[in-house]
Amino acid sequence: MLELNRRLRFGCSRKMVAAAIWTLPFAIILAGSMARVVSAADSGDSALLIQIKQEIDQLKADREKDRQQIQHLEQQIQAIQKQPAQAPPNQPSATQQATDQQLKALAAKVAAQSSPQSFAQEVNDYLGRYRFTIVGGAAGGFIYDRQSNINTYNLDLEPILLWQISDRMLFEATIEASLPSGGAADYELPVATLQYFLNDYMEVVAGIFDQPFGDWYEDQSPFWVNRFITAPLPYGANALVPGSDIGLQLRGAYQWGAVGQIADYTVWSGNGPGYNQATCTGNTSPSPLPSCSTRALVGDTLVGVNNIRLNTHTPAFGARIRVYPLPVESELGRLEVGASTYDGKWLNGLWLKSWGADFNYFKGNLQTRGEWIQSYRQMPGSIGADNRQGWYVQAGYFLAGVRPPLMPSSWAAILDKFEPLIRYSGVNQRASVLSDISTTPGIGFNGSPAVFAPHAREVALGLDYWFAPSVVWQNEFNFEMPGAGGFYSDTGARVGAVPNDRAFLSQFAIGF
Amino acid sequence: MKTKALMFILVVAAGITFSFTGWAQTAGAQSAAEKRALFMRGAELWPVYCNTCHNARPGPEFSPSEWNMIMMHMRTQANLPAQDARAILEYLKGSR
Repeated sequence: MLELNRRLRFGCSRKMVAAAIWTLPFAIILAGSMARVVSAADSGDSALLIQIKQEIDQLKADREKDRQQIQHLEQQIQAIQKQPAQAPPNQPSATQQATDQQLKALAAKVAAQSSPQSFAQEVNDYLGRYRFTIVGGAAGGFIYDRQSNINTYNLDLEPILLWQISDRMLFEATIEASLPSGGAADYELPVATLQYFLNDYMEVVAGIFDQPFGDWYEDQSPFWVNRFITAPLPYGANALVPGSDIGLQLRGAYQWGAVGQIADYTVWSGNGPGYNQATCTGNTSPSPLPSCSTRALVGDTLVGVNNIRLNTHTPAFGARIRVYPLPVESELGRLEVGASTYDGKWLNGLWLKSWGADFNYFKGNLQTRGEWIQSYRQMPGSIGADNRQGWYVQAGYFLAGVRPPLMPSSWAAILDKFEPLIRYSGVNQRASVLSDISTTPGIGFNGSPAVFAPHAREVALGLDYWFAPSVVWQNEFNFEMPGAGGFYSDTGARVGAVPNDRAFLSQFAIGF
Repeated sequence: MKTKALMFILVVAAGITFSFTGWAQTAGAQSAAEKRALFMRGAELWPVYCNTCHNARPGPEFSPSEWNMIMMHMRTQANLPAQDARAILEYLKGSR
C-alpha cells in the first residue's frame, strides 16, 4: 500500500515535473503577455470601465422603475378586483348606459370633422332667417371753455339698431341718448331708414337720414370715426346745411376702371331746411312775455330736423357724386373727390341753395380731408340775401413707424398708437343772431360763443391714442380766432372785433 | 299728358332696376374657386376702403351674421360697389 502510494506520488510527480519543465517557459511567456494586457487595460480602457459601470447603474435604475410600475399595476388590479362587489360589470346602471350612448354620439360628431363653415351654418339655422344686432358708439369726456368759464363732464350714447329683413332689405335706426345740462336724458332719433337694394347699382333709402351732403354728416360724425372731438365749424353749432332730412334717396356705385376706380351717386328729396327764429321763442301763449310775430333774420341757425313741413310748394332736392380716380394696385394712396348740392324752400317761395366740394386722401399713416361749402338763402322783403361760406382742412398722422433714436423698443408699441392732428376751419356770414348764441357745451361742441361770430375761425390741435381700431382717447385744443365785422341782426348792433377764446376737450370714445 | 309720361318713365325705370341681380342672393351659388377669388379681392380692398373713413375693423370682432348686416349698412353708408362689398364681406367672414 505504501509502495502504491509512493509510486503514485513519486511516479506521477516525476511525469508532472517533466511536464512542468516543458510548460514552464510557455507559462512565463503567457504570464508576461497577460501582464502587458492588464497593464494596457489599466492605462487605456479606464473610460470603458466607467461606461460599463454607468450602464450597470442605469440597468439598476430601470429595474427599480419597472419594479415600481409593476407595483402600481398590482395596486390597480387589486382595486379593480374590489369593484364587482359595488357594481357588477355585466349589469351596467341606466346612468352608465346613457353616458355611454352620449359618448358614442359625441365621438361620432368629432369623427365627422365639422368645419367652421358648417358650424356657422348650423348657428345661423338655429338663430332663424331674420337677423337683428346693435352696433354704434358711446363717448364720455370733459370740456373746458375759457371765455364762458365753463367746465363739465359729459356723456353720450348712440346705439344703431340693424335689422336684416331679407337679403335685399335692411332697417336701421340710430337712437341718440345724451345728458343735457341740469336734466334727465334727452333722446333723439337722427336716423330711421328702410334700405332696399334694387340691384348692384341702385338702392332706395326711405325715412329720416343723415344729410348726404359732403362727407361729414354721413361718414365722419360718429364719435369714434371723427378724429377730433368737435365738428369743423361749417358742420358745427352754426352749420350751413341741415344735418338730417326726412324723405327718400336713390343711391349706388359703379366701378368704371381698375379695382378701386369707382364713382358713386346719391340723389334725394326731403322736407327741406328749417331755421330757428329765436327772437320769439317762448313768447307764445301761455308765456307771460308779449307775443310777437316770427321774423326771419340773416344769420338764423338751422333746426336739427324739419319733421312736418308746413310751408307750401316743393320739397328739397339734393345730389352728390364722388369719384375715386386712383386704382388700389397703384399704391399711390386713396383719393376721393366729391361734389354736393342741396336746394330747398325754407319758407314759402324762398329757397336755400347750397353746394360744396370736398376731398379726402390717405396713404399709409397720413390722412387729409377738406371741404368747401357755399350757401345762398333768399330772405323775405327787402332784407338782403343770407349768404354764407364755410370750409375746413385737416390732417392726421399715425406715429406708427416713427422711431426716434435711443427710444427703447418697449416704447415703440405705445408710440405707434398716437395720432397727432391739426384742423383749420372757418365760416363767413353777414350777421349773427345774438339770441341764438348758445354757450352750453355738449358732445361735439366746446361751448365757445366765438363759433357764432359772423367771421368765425378755429384752429384745432388734437392728439389721439388708439387702444383698438374703434377705441380711442382723444384730446383737443381749440383756438377760436374770429375776425372782425358783421352785425347782430336781431339787435342791429355791429359785432366789431370778437375776443379770441380757448377751449380744451378730452374724450374717451368707443365704437361697438 | 305730363302724368302719362311720368308714369311711363316710372314703369320703365322699375322694370330695369328689378331685372338686375340682387345684393346677396348669389352668394350661396358660388363655387369654392369663386369664393376664394372673392376672398382674395376682399383682402386687398378691406384695408383701403375701410380706412378711407375709419380704422378698419378686423373680422373676429363680429359674427358672420352680424357682418352680413354691418356690410349692408356700410354699403349704403359709403356707397360701396356691390361686388366690392361682397368681396369685403367674404374676407371679413373668412378671416375669423
